[in-house]
Amino acid sequence: MIIEISHFLSVLATGLFLLVGYFSILTPSSNSSYISNLIVRTYSHGFFFLLSSFLIYVWLAITDNFSVQYIANHSNTALPIFYKISSIWSAHEGSMFLWIVFLSLWGFLFNIRVKNNEVLKPKTMGVISFILVGFLIFLLATSNPFETILPIPPLNGADINPVLQDPALAIHPPTLYLGYVGFVIPFASAIAFLLYGDSKINWEALVKTWSVSAWVFLTVGITLGSWWAYYELGWGGYWFWDPVENVALMPWLAATAFIHSLGVSIKSSQLRIWTILLSILVFSLSLFGAFIVRSGIIDSVHAFANDPDRGIYLLGFIGLIVFTSVFLFILRLSSIQSLSRIKKFSKQSFISINNILFGALIFSVMLGVTYPLIYEFLFDQKISVGAPFYNAIFIPIVVLAAIFLFFSVDSKWSRSINFKFISAPISFSILLSLAFTIFVMQYFESQSISILASIFAGSLIVFRYIYEIINFIFSKKFINPFSVIAHMSLGLLLISISFNSLLSTERALSINLNTTESYKDLKISFKDIGVENNANYDSIKATFLVEDQTGRTFNLKPEKRKYFTRGQITTETAIHITFLRDIYITIGDQLDDGSWIVNIQINYLIRWIWLSALLMGLAGVILVFSNRVKT
Amino acid sequence: MNPIRKKRIYSILFVFLFSVSGISLILYSLNSNLDYFFTPTELKDRNIPADKRIKVGGMVLSGSVERISSSISFVITDYENSIKVEYEGIVPDLFKEDSGVVVLGNLRDKILFAEEVLAKHDENYMPPNIEINDDN
Repeated sequence: MIIEISHFLSVLATGLFLLVGYFSILTPSSNSSYISNLIVRTYSHGFFFLLSSFLIYVWLAITDNFSVQYIANHSNTALPIFYKISSIWSAHEGSMFLWIVFLSLWGFLFNIRVKNNEVLKPKTMGVISFILVGFLIFLLATSNPFETILPIPPLNGADINPVLQDPALAIHPPTLYLGYVGFVIPFASAIAFLLYGDSKINWEALVKTWSVSAWVFLTVGITLGSWWAYYELGWGGYWFWDPVENVALMPWLAATAFIHSLGVSIKSSQLRIWTILLSILVFSLSLFGAFIVRSGIIDSVHAFANDPDRGIYLLGFIGLIVFTSVFLFILRLSSIQSLSRIKKFSKQSFISINNILFGALIFSVMLGVTYPLIYEFLFDQKISVGAPFYNAIFIPIVVLAAIFLFFSVDSKWSRSINFKFISAPISFSILLSLAFTIFVMQYFESQSISILASIFAGSLIVFRYIYEIINFIFSKKFINPFSVIAHMSLGLLLISISFNSLLSTERALSINLNTTESYKDLKISFKDIGVENNANYDSIKATFLVEDQTGRTFNLKPEKRKYFTRGQITTETAIHITFLRDIYITIGDQLDDGSWIVNIQINYLIRWIWLSALLMGLAGVILVFSNRVKT
Repeated sequence: MNPIRKKRIYSILFVFLFSVSGISLILYSLNSNLDYFFTPTELKDRNIPADKRIKVGGMVLSGSVERISSSISFVITDYENSIKVEYEGIVPDLFKEDSGVVVLGNLRDKILFAEEVLAKHDENYMPPNIEINDDN
């Protein structure tokens, strides 16, 4: 009975969002205060109905209501409450539900934070509502989480997939979704701006904080995913160029370009056309990600079950959104004018270059994701695009972007005067970076141009900003903390990634119980192995005593688990974390002679990669809060 | 031609050439970094250079798995043709005889030297291009 109430509330919310959309976009007088009040209230009611529906659903999951098919398939009475709740977004239907609730949440926050007399507000709410209606219909018609098993529900659920039984499940998908759908705000406002057709309205300033907030969630969400994959899957590594990683990277790249371009448009009314186009691109790429993951057209660790109906509906709906936005954009193109031309060597000119480079990256990733599909269609030959392609594209472009960023630190808004290619800070940073790179080349005997170039480019940025910080401390020269932290993190990220690929090694060993093997500076003693019985799985647990070159010792206990409910085997890695490197061990099978295969990885600076990404996110948080204080 | 128009034509030409060369560079590196996917049968009559990475998918032939120290060798089959694989390292949890596997590696002397062995995390997974009907 309760499930029907939850179901009904979602249907009701769909109806209310449809009304909001209708009143705000399809009626001519949407800006009369009567109508705009109606829109604000109706949207809030719709949101509360949808939220209640979701909270009831959470309650059903907590109370093990297995008459709900989805809960029966993905939860289990033996799970702690924490996992019962997270199991909701462990598969397609429930995660789509959460995705939509988050979408409506962003709309709701916009609805209550933005003043009613803001001219773009009614139409923005309308666009958000129409998108919500489209996705709610998708949810209810093709992926209904409210379906029931009647008359006799099963006694127990099928359990959550063991690979997903991890605390990260509680935070990684929600954070990522908040990022993806958060870009509905700039998108809807841009569409409202185009619908309104008055180029004097400054829609860019309205959405700045919102866009940066969504960008923070996306950045942190991707980082969490990278960290989770590293310890959960047992392959080590932080990025696999898996299609699902790529469809998250594309909106991130587009969003990063968008935020830069947005800054220019707010500051000097330049690049406005480009900013609008980017806002459409970011949201379209977010939706494209949903399509790729949920249609099952690609093979990936993340791919949900294959269902062509879902794919076709999503593709149709996303196509409609993109087509309508681009059509509207072209229609209004002539009325949006940038006020002035961009001057050479001004901050704007550097940001334009950054945008072009990011565009090239997005294009390449898109090509990498879609080319296998196109190729198979045309030539009936399966292919895949892997790391070598992305490395060949990303390394030169990112290094180039870093060098432009380095020179842009000296540039000024709207002015080309006083720009020098040779100055104290520039020579200071170039000399130090060169020295550092040569040191790396000599000390680590590295010949790899791509690694050395990335280290050079990364250190250029870091040293340049260190110079700025010193200048700020001693002569109170103004710095923008957001920009300094975000860009220094990029430098740190480049350096960490380079050292990681330069120094990290791995090796598979076969090792007998009570013997010691050495690998690099490590002495690995196999102390113990045994079977442990747990509540919902059996596990083979090994104990290794590892000694490093400093004589420090530590235990590592990798496991192999077999879960009862699905018979699935999972690998649990054992990781010893130090300041500069991780010692990462997984255990394989036993050989006929009684020895075990063990895989050992030494991963350098891997924590620094995630730290840099999180610092980037922190920079965004600083921007959002400093903006809030100002207004 | 007036100078403004001339300037405009030059800048359009510049943008055009710039994008064309950029896109061709990207396409070129795409084409030289593709991993082709084959079944053992498709691989049979093909001559693949040793430096070209390929993916081969099929089933692990039962009884073919041999382990020597930390290396493993097995035979991938599509029940018509097969190919031998050599790999150094730990195979995935779901790797077992008579189940689906995809191997990425280089082919030398009819042996596939694997860089990566993937077994899909799904008990019902079939590698692409292979259809087996148990009932007939």
